[in-house]
Amino acid sequence: MTKSKLTRFERARIIGARALQLSMGAKPMVEVTGSLDPIDIAIRELKENVIPLEVRHGPE
Amino acid sequence: MYLVSKIEDTVRIPPHRFEEPLQEVAAEILNKNYMGKIDKKMGLMVTVKEIEDIGVGKVIMGDGAAYHDVVFTALFFKPELHEIVVGEVIEVTDFGAFVRIGPMDGLVHVSQVTDDYINYDAKRGALLGKESKKSLEEGNHVRGRIVALSLKEKSAETKIGLTMRQPGLGRLEWIKEEKEKAKKKGKS
Repeated sequence: MTKSKLTRFERARIIGARALQLSMGAKPMVEVTGSLDPIDIAIRELKENVIPLEVRHGPE
Repeated sequence: MYLVSKIEDTVRIPPHRFEEPLQEVAAEILNKNYMGKIDKKMGLMVTVKEIEDIGVGKVIMGDGAAYHDVVFTALFFKPELHEIVVGEVIEVTDFGAFVRIGPMDGLVHVSQVTDDYINYDAKRGALLGKESKKSLEEGNHVRGRIVALSLKEKSAETKIGLTMRQPGLGRLEWIKEEKEKAKKKGKS
């Protein structure tokens, strides 16, 4: 799960990567209501802290 | 000869398959990528046997897919020079007989079928010995030795040459006859 404190760069990267995954057919971790835009869904997932991605720093 | 080899690789899991069991998806994708491919050292990849270890997925720039480092074992078929093989004749032509040896085919040239002079019978699709009454048709089982080998990336370009002109080689029925003859000789 994603840590609560992300820099704005990490946030952009996570939302971007997650939105791309959603657009490529990954199942949303939140119920999709309203906007079907993968970026909007990714932002809502990040708000609810359910994105199955984590930030790793440095090489490997 | 069949070999089991351990391989390290990276496997790309596309996002629409995230929900499925990882090991099964990885095995399926690896099979799709490598099955039927020929490597000069390893031979022909037959199938993924087992996924031994699969790491955490990494997401790289510009692709939503997860890349997992994976260690798996795979089954290979590697024909080797001077190897004895048993197979079924699947096609007979005027220049020789094609023998299926596992996942690949080998060719026994007419000159390498027996010591006898060989005629091709186009009607029967058979090779006939002139003096001996030996015949070779589709469906016969034969034992041969690999004498020429050219492994190419594409399996269609790979050529395996076999010979049956050595004691103990040939159609299985001929070998039986030879053995019985030798026994009788030994008794008398």
